[in-house]
Amino acid sequence: MASTVDQLIDNSIEDPARRAPLVTGGLDYAGVTDVVSQVAESPKPPRIWYILLGISLLLLAMLGANIGHLIFTGVGVWGNRSPVFWGWPIVNFVFWVGIGHAGTLISAILFLFRQNWRTSINRAAEAMTIFAVVCALLFPGIHIGRVWAAYWLFPIPTEHLAMWPNFRSPLLWDVFAVSTYGTVSALFWFMGMVPDIATFRDRAKDPVRRFVYGLLSLGWTGSARAWHRYEVAYVILAALATPLVLSVHTIVSFDFAVSMLPGWHTTIFPPYFVAGAIFSGFAMVVTLLVPARELFGLKHLITIRHLENMNKVIVATGTMVGFAYGIEFFIAWYGGNANEGETFLNRAFGEYYWAYWTMVSCNVIAPQFFWFKKIRTNPWLMVIVCIFVNIGMWFERFVITVTSLARDFIPSSWGYFSPTPVDVMMLIGSFGLFFTLFLLFCRFLPVVAISEVKAVMPTGEHGEGESH
Amino acid sequence: MAHRPSPTRTEPQVKFVGYLAEFDDPHRLVAACDQVRQAGYRQIDAHTPFPVHGIDPALGIRRTRLPFIVLAVGLGALAVGILLQWYANATDDIRPFPGYKFLISGKPTWSLPANIPVAFEITVLFSAFATFFGMWGLNKLPQFSNPLFRIPRFKRATSDRFFLMISADDPIFDATQTRQQLERFGALNVERVDHDQSDAELPRFLKPLAWCLASIAILIPTAVYRSQAMTNEAPRLHFNPDMDWQDKSKPQTVSPALAGAEGSTLFADGRVMRPDVPGTVALGELRLSDPLFRGYEQGTAVEPGATDEEGNPLEPEWVTAFPSDVDDAGDPVLEVNEAMMARGQRQYGIYCAPCHGYAGYGDGLVSRRGLDLTVQGLAAWNQAKSLHDPMVVDQAVGKIFDTISNGRNTMGPYRSQITVEDRWAIVLYVKALQATQERTAAATAPAN
Repeated sequence: MASTVDQLIDNSIEDPARRAPLVTGGLDYAGVTDVVSQVAESPKPPRIWYILLGISLLLLAMLGANIGHLIFTGVGVWGNRSPVFWGWPIVNFVFWVGIGHAGTLISAILFLFRQNWRTSINRAAEAMTIFAVVCALLFPGIHIGRVWAAYWLFPIPTEHLAMWPNFRSPLLWDVFAVSTYGTVSALFWFMGMVPDIATFRDRAKDPVRRFVYGLLSLGWTGSARAWHRYEVAYVILAALATPLVLSVHTIVSFDFAVSMLPGWHTTIFPPYFVAGAIFSGFAMVVTLLVPARELFGLKHLITIRHLENMNKVIVATGTMVGFAYGIEFFIAWYGGNANEGETFLNRAFGEYYWAYWTMVSCNVIAPQFFWFKKIRTNPWLMVIVCIFVNIGMWFERFVITVTSLARDFIPSSWGYFSPTPVDVMMLIGSFGLFFTLFLLFCRFLPVVAISEVKAVMPTGEHGEGESH
Repeated sequence: MAHRPSPTRTEPQVKFVGYLAEFDDPHRLVAACDQVRQAGYRQIDAHTPFPVHGIDPALGIRRTRLPFIVLAVGLGALAVGILLQWYANATDDIRPFPGYKFLISGKPTWSLPANIPVAFEITVLFSAFATFFGMWGLNKLPQFSNPLFRIPRFKRATSDRFFLMISADDPIFDATQTRQQLERFGALNVERVDHDQSDAELPRFLKPLAWCLASIAILIPTAVYRSQAMTNEAPRLHFNPDMDWQDKSKPQTVSPALAGAEGSTLFADGRVMRPDVPGTVALGELRLSDPLFRGYEQGTAVEPGATDEEGNPLEPEWVTAFPSDVDDAGDPVLEVNEAMMARGQRQYGIYCAPCHGYAGYGDGLVSRRGLDLTVQGLAAWNQAKSLHDPMVVDQAVGKIFDTISNGRNTMGPYRSQITVEDRWAIVLYVKALQATQERTAAATAPAN
């Protein structure tokens, strides 16, 4: 019979002699099932859930109204003006796509590296990924201006009109990369959820729930033959998703790097963007999971050790990002290109200096606090640091996009970007979309991968550790 | 979900599916699987809440062929991805769909490095589809009806219990012996699984409902097919008028009527375009120099159609030398040199040679064609003037400039097509042409 240590043990303490438990609170298999299922089964969620959902829905309505306004009026309602034609919509797109990198990283790359601690957080992180990709896809989708012709982005054959996308354009690569990423992440997420939805189905008392969960679980019986193929499929999907997740932000960075603009045309962009994406994605996972584990009683599954591990990833990627900022300046000087040098001096000391130094303090300085164990193991302090990281990562994209565009090659074309109220409301509204989806997910779907957590639990009388 | 008794129902058909043994620990399950298999059973399966390691050899599960399916689909997708890009951007074929040979900055239309990202994404996408759908297909899921779902105890198979199932189809299955064996192997509980097919009958309303839905579903394709086959004069539906119709007046159109005022228009003269304000000169339109812009001496202009006492048309005093005007910077506008001659030759070739011919004998292609048509009675064409006609040879440069600018007889004006500098350059070239041909022209001047 499986059972785990009691809750008094602090599993963030490193003891080389024994493997730190990933599930605390003395939970056995049934206990894990109960803890995760009660989130969806309790007749009423906590009151704060309703309040948060209400606020999110209001913001979502605001987003919807703004999108309607945009579609009926035109993209002129944004602050995109010559010379800054890529304003906040692209900043928001890159910001959300970046956030959407953590989930697949946790579920694919950490899976291939056999990081068992991923099991408690991968489900929520994958869900967050998909919702972030939804928010990301929204912005280029409406930025094209004629939303009703959005299907032109895809290579659809026409009968008489020779009209194909330009396959050598990074913007088209982006369409393929982000939509493939969204699709594969959704498949991965759903496939991982099927056994857990089957658990919900088997526990359901109410016929509606039984029907819906029954439909979604596809008739899963936990057959050993099915599990065998399922695990093989999981490894294959992880192996496919690993290069995919690295390719997505690489290709997003090509949007900038393939152009000839000083400040964009640099080869460091792909690795630098990927590191930044993981950085911001992990920060968002921590920001979401700390309140979620409090709210839904998941503290024994999403333990301090899990959060601490994520914070270690944040300090590592945050330092990489800081290093990339330094290298950019070094290359701007070492490359000897006057335009490049001027662009970087302008970034740090020009009229957008406030955005640059916000970015540096949030992205480079804030994560360094995670060197202190007290801070990286304190749930609320880590949330504060992670919120700063997310603010910083938004500013990073703002700095890259706007400072390079605002200084055109001809000084007579220089300009200063000012957002409109629609820009601001859409950014805030996209958080409404994101949180609405996440809150609904928390309430109706398994927040923790039940079957995966059980697979890494020590199995009682036959010794601890799992039997890989 | 209670089933409805049906009058047409026959005897309840219950099929014995097999035995389901329950265990509370994965290790006991694996041990039992091993023993069951050693006992000779082959139609066996386990049901567990999570993948139990070591159960595959215990049950004799062979490795799935899923990776090979994914490999095949992935390679196919890679080929399709590359072919798609090649077809769409590097061919001009019409069939099956028109391709679009996309020329950008003179780069090759087919360059593999730029096609890697899309080929990669398509490969990953379809490999993921193959993995996802292949896994469910091989597992024969979704399958919503399963006799196991009718066993209350089995509900714990997705939580904390481990089950071993021996199918009744197994050749060595025996209703009593198998049960005893399972109990001996440490099962907490052994349950008989029956497949009750009695209520597998469809609800009676389903069939008419399906017919109704099918008839409705066929309506839309029928309507689409019908409209495809018929002609229709009604304008197309325009879901989003966008900017197709705007409140604006285009040049050369009548000024729109003002709302609420019958017969009155935006402008009193009924025109949309506004004439220049009297006394104003548009930028670049100040052309004070008569010699440079009009080819005659300053202030010698004559009224159009004016004649002297004998009825001969009056002419201004044509300049006989190239104008020496200077621009704002003090540089001469026209510099008679080799560059100007080359320019004149080039512009002559473009604008004049089609009628007057490259050598200036009035035998350009257009002129010859016009004469041919005139002979056939299909046109009335006057041969273009030979520039070696003594009348033309004697003309002052200002007069030739005027002819190019305003036309003469059936020749049209070229002032709007050719710039002032280029017109003077052509004059220079015409003069040079005449100089080369002068002697022979005098000898062989055409009779007309």
